[in-house]
Amino acid sequence: MSALADDTDDESLGSALRRSTLLRHGVFFVALAAVLLVATYLVSPFHDYEIAGVAIYTIAAAGLTVLTGANGQISLGHGALMMIGAYTTSVLLQWRPGLPMIVTLLGAVVSTGLAGSIIGVAGARLRGPYLAGATLALAVALPQIPLHFAGVFGGNQGLNVASPTAPAALGADFPNERWLAWLCLAAALVTLFLLANLLSSSVGRRLRTVRDNEVAARLAGVDVARTQVLAFVISAVCAGLAGALFAYWVSITSPTGFTLTLSLQLLTAVVIGGLGSLTGAVWGSIILIYLPVLTGDLASNLSLSSDVANNVPLAIYGVVLVVAMLVFPRGLQGALVSLARQLARVIRMRGTVLPAVPSAPEQ
Amino acid sequence: MLEVAELTVAYGGVVALDDVSFSVPEGAITAVLGANGAGKTTLVRTISGLVRPRHGSVLLDGAELVGRSPESIARLRVAHVPEGHGIVSELSVDENLRLGGLWRRDRAEQRVAVDEAYALFPPLAARRRGPASGLSGGERQMLSIGRALAARPAVLLLDEPSLGLATRLLAQIMERLGSLVAERKLSVLLIEQNARSALSVAGQAVVLSLGRVVVIDEAHRLAGDEALRHAYLGF
Amino acid sequence: MRAFLIYTVDGVTNGMVYAAVALALVMIWRATRIINYAQGAMAMFTTYIAFFVIEHGTPFWLGFVIALAAGLALGAVTERVLVRPVESRPALSAVILTLGLLIFLEALAPMLFGAQVQSFPAPFSRIDLTAGGTQLYFSRFDIFTVGSVLCVMVLLFVLFQRTTIGLRMRAAAFNPEIARILGIRVGRMLTLGWALAALLGALAGLLAAPVLFLYPTNMDEVLVFGFTGAIIGGLESPVGAVVGALGVGLALSYVSGFLGSDLAPLGSLLILMAVLMIRPRGLFGMTRQRQV
Repeated sequence: MSALADDTDDESLGSALRRSTLLRHGVFFVALAAVLLVATYLVSPFHDYEIAGVAIYTIAAAGLTVLTGANGQISLGHGALMMIGAYTTSVLLQWRPGLPMIVTLLGAVVSTGLAGSIIGVAGARLRGPYLAGATLALAVALPQIPLHFAGVFGGNQGLNVASPTAPAALGADFPNERWLAWLCLAAALVTLFLLANLLSSSVGRRLRTVRDNEVAARLAGVDVARTQVLAFVISAVCAGLAGALFAYWVSITSPTGFTLTLSLQLLTAVVIGGLGSLTGAVWGSIILIYLPVLTGDLASNLSLSSDVANNVPLAIYGVVLVVAMLVFPRGLQGALVSLARQLARVIRMRGTVLPAVPSAPEQ
Repeated sequence: MLEVAELTVAYGGVVALDDVSFSVPEGAITAVLGANGAGKTTLVRTISGLVRPRHGSVLLDGAELVGRSPESIARLRVAHVPEGHGIVSELSVDENLRLGGLWRRDRAEQRVAVDEAYALFPPLAARRRGPASGLSGGERQMLSIGRALAARPAVLLLDEPSLGLATRLLAQIMERLGSLVAERKLSVLLIEQNARSALSVAGQAVVLSLGRVVVIDEAHRLAGDEALRHAYLGF
Repeated sequence: MRAFLIYTVDGVTNGMVYAAVALALVMIWRATRIINYAQGAMAMFTTYIAFFVIEHGTPFWLGFVIALAAGLALGAVTERVLVRPVESRPALSAVILTLGLLIFLEALAPMLFGAQVQSFPAPFSRIDLTAGGTQLYFSRFDIFTVGSVLCVMVLLFVLFQRTTIGLRMRAAAFNPEIARILGIRVGRMLTLGWALAALLGALAGLLAAPVLFLYPTNMDEVLVFGFTGAIIGGLESPVGAVVGALGVGLALSYVSGFLGSDLAPLGSLLILMAVLMIRPRGLFGMTRQRQV
């Protein structure tokens, strides 16, 4: 996964790979796609469904990584942007039920891109808690629109979305869940590939310069406001794409799917995964999907009452967040990197010490 | 008596103070002189507990200060007038002065100490209800020193009181301070870049250069040593 | 006209609850540069504590006081145990930490007290009063809500402006380093500040619950509207927070009364954005740039 992080230099790769980031990322992502393709065959359709979920959250979290990690803007309202993507897709399908997925996804990308540019322009003047507050208000306000305009958006009931069926060429008993996982994984890999290249390009540098020191960025000729709007649009587009896939994934688009909790989960997942690295966004999404699964299993094994069992996953998620901030302030990715460094140091020391004292028993 | 012994402070890899030792006697002003970056401010910040030294000790009448928090050092009657005044500009003049002796229990004593500060620096009395942000540079320095004195300190650490002050005003302030030093048996550590004025009021002087003590001597002898003045004090 | 009066009274009453939350947020922001996103969840939790002890036979007012005391304790413990270690870290750490606490409390409450929506008793009648045959537009409970928040605000004002402990707290908030070299125990002042803020939040929770009912996320919107009010007021100014929150309360009441209750949060968002477009640091905000 190291190719996802910026500024990594894997010495085992050839010199051509080292020279070209694009090529290096390309090779890495093709390899990853192959591994994932095999993986989806090895697991049951139910697990394929979970994998699709990880892919969807990864897309949204990766976009938020660009905004919050690379550019330093905070958003507590990305769930609302996902909602725009989901409703765009659902309304399009309501209007023309047979529309191909690529069209609805593009529609979602365009509509959230527009919304993101409006929010980005408004938000570029705001800093810290002011931006956080504005996006928080957005997260609460936006889900009210489908309730008010129930004719278009289906009100509280929401809009149904037919989940995509696998093409006949794949065989009659090819599970639809696996097909959905493929689509979502493909979208996630393309998104990550594009974002990884973006972050290692001059645009990525510009985003980070603005984050680190606005005054210095201005002196260096960077248009701070435009850079911030750009970051917002990029992350909004990702959220929109994720939202559109989310609509297919849950088969229904309703306001209750896009609560404040979703927005908060996205931001917190990005940070505990490891802020600033796309790999961290993947970790965060894995936590978002699998922590409830694991803790849910645990709770049902303990035969707790439903009030308790239903809330165990969220309670544990809350504890994980608090503990992570107290113990691993640099996130899971940061913790893994420093663990790997320590291991490498231990191995290196063994390598030099062991031959001198061949079979020294531990004291 | 304040005794600094073998004090070493480093920020990351940069050594700011290197094995600094000297003592500050009671009832006298000890000047610490040196160029910008010599470690003067680090020295006072270490004594008042804001900076942790790598090693060494600071003894106040035999009690170790290193390792204590700034607030408990303040309660051992060490008053610090930080560089650039250090007044709380959001509070009123009177509130700033009251902060000086706030940790002491006796309300009546607190009030007396504040009134003494007004007596010492009359310009402050006229503006007691006004916000501290409305004071001039000189008045801010008076406020900061008055606040420190209101704590009835045994040790007074003054970090560059001359900064941005007119010479006459500085002389006035130092004169008022000078009479208090003997009367209250204050140990004063006066950090100055303006060596000439500091040497005129100090009994003893310590010259720092790049974090090390280069000279400790009586102030008047130092002022008379032309070679030394040229080398370290720039006049 | 009649409708307008009803909505105005509603707006002021709700606005006072938002004002309590807004003031709590501003107190903590000024002292520690942290927005306590868990403020609403903490209030929800202490209200559940009141509900629990009242259900088990404790007199209402004793339960009320227990909830306030629980708020005080919860605020102090939160600052000491959770917030203190992240104070020197980047601002985002504290954001995630308080969000984590919010998520945890909203999950813990149904585990302890059940997930179903509960009705929380109002200490006074919620039926509008009449004076000599004419219908008034407010109830005893409305008077209590406005009165109790005003009362606590005045007490806090006196504490901060007229006592030495308040002077210490302000010095610690405005300039912690100077406060420390003056012998003020800044850590204790911060703990006290968080405790008082949580007390104010707990009051808001107790006043909101009879109207909103009691369930784990019942304070989410109150937090958002209080936060909106605090931002409109500029985050630095207690007076601004109260003014901003009352404005939000009124705006929400008019929008939901005249245009439909679904649109109320949207109205609050639009007002927030309108204010921020003109003044990016709120109405009473300082022009000084603060890095967050």
